[in-house]
Amino acid sequence: MLIPQALVGQELIANKDLADKVLSRNEARLFFTLRLQRWGDDQTVKVFVLPDDHPVHREFSKTVLGLFPYQLRRVWDRQLFSGTGQAPIIVSSEQEMLQRVASTPNAIGYVEGVPGDSRVRVLEVR
Amino acid sequence: MSVRAIPIVALLLGWLGSADAAESYWERIQIHGFASQALVYTSDNRWFGDSPDTSFDFTEIGLNASLRLHPRLLFSGQALFRRAGEMSDGDIALDYGLADISLHSSAEGRLGVRLGRIKNPLGLYNETRDVPFTHPGIFLPQVVYFDRVRNLVLSMDGAMLYSELYRPFGNLSLTLGAGKPVLDKNVEWAYLNGDFPGKMKPDGNSWLASLWYTTASERLKLGLSGATLSIEFDPDRRAPLTLDAGGLEFVYWIASAQYNTEQWTLTAEYAREPIQWRGFGYPIPDRDATGEGYYLQGTYRLRPDLELMLRYEEGYADVDDRDGRGLERETGGLLPANAGFSKILTAGLRWDINAHWMLRAEYAYNNGTFILSTRENPPPDDRARYWHLLSVQAAFRF
Repeated sequence: MLIPQALVGQELIANKDLADKVLSRNEARLFFTLRLQRWGDDQTVKVFVLPDDHPVHREFSKTVLGLFPYQLRRVWDRQLFSGTGQAPIIVSSEQEMLQRVASTPNAIGYVEGVPGDSRVRVLEVR
Repeated sequence: MSVRAIPIVALLLGWLGSADAAESYWERIQIHGFASQALVYTSDNRWFGDSPDTSFDFTEIGLNASLRLHPRLLFSGQALFRRAGEMSDGDIALDYGLADISLHSSAEGRLGVRLGRIKNPLGLYNETRDVPFTHPGIFLPQVVYFDRVRNLVLSMDGAMLYSELYRPFGNLSLTLGAGKPVLDKNVEWAYLNGDFPGKMKPDGNSWLASLWYTTASERLKLGLSGATLSIEFDPDRRAPLTLDAGGLEFVYWIASAQYNTEQWTLTAEYAREPIQWRGFGYPIPDRDATGEGYYLQGTYRLRPDLELMLRYEEGYADVDDRDGRGLERETGGLLPANAGFSKILTAGLRWDINAHWMLRAEYAYNNGTFILSTRENPPPDDRARYWHLLSVQAAFRF
């Protein structure tokens, strides 16, 4: 069966520093809710996200993470305003997302479609 | 930081291992904050100020900073300015200030310790109860999250051990804590119905436990959380008339359930609070009571930025005195029977204008005055049993 969404879908991208691996949906959720920040033994992941109302953010949350954007916001705010965690870094556009993930060590983020930048890799989520 | 502390920090960092050297401290600091101002009108009774004449005395401003010094070590703190009618006159307090040490973190779970002043993870909303963006209305459901005595279980100075387990069927989390509760004058007003010469202070440690289950998609969230609390009254002996050195014992627990869909969130919580009064002498005899509160709340997102809220709640000062007549009798009529219960229907609207600004409007129909502060409505002032509340709020965050 063809899955047309995969062709234009939202892709989880990572800086080349982070070793290639397949993430489970649960792992992807843990990274984007900032509950898990360690990659392997010694790398600390830096999470970049688009604004809550950005269409790519909404689609990525729903289809890749299986969370509604308001749920992500709730988890981030709870951690941020109780001092038990930090907030993700918000970028304003997909261009900026790609640029920041490409240039920041250990960064992860997402864009729509497969990016043509050799400094980032696309990670499979399943 | 004092010079003496530096070797300790160096030792600690040695134990933790080296941090990513490429990143400066400045890049690991985050600063965030919020501010809100409400306008409150009530048909009768005082609520967050002189509300029958429209009150502006509900202001909250918070500023927090956090520093991830190391993957295993996070420092964070928040200063909170809060004006809430007679209940809080605009002092600045340390809301939380803690070190979070991660002992283990992986895709299977995490384990860690928090030390310092920590917000109590009680119910769905206590940890961030003063941040308007994080709760469903201008006022939290008062029968569970009392504003008349919010400091009772707000936070503690102590230690908490937290653990989380991530499994395909969902996430389990357990937090255990012990420490000194951070009290204020409202405790005395709420449980002794007055301000007596002397001071309320914690008697030993408070204990806390908080257990949660969420499905992996966070559609369903179930929780059970509670704390024990002992408070002693230290009377001012020089005062001609005060109470004896009595004490209060509390247990406070909440059962929580929440279900989320794209448009709907359904929330219900049930709280119970057994209380003992001992040794205050005349005019506060030894007695036991069990407070109770519960609510059912639905929020509906018309659009991602527009949310409607409807809530019904009931609360009782004592489950064995639901009509409040016993309370009226015991206080010699100083408190009317309607101070023993509250039944409230609330409707609200939230509009997130953009990522920084939010506007809210709320209406509540009240039957009973259990939720009111005795400090704002000191006996023997009349209390209207049936009253309306109308409020609007503007909030900003960054």
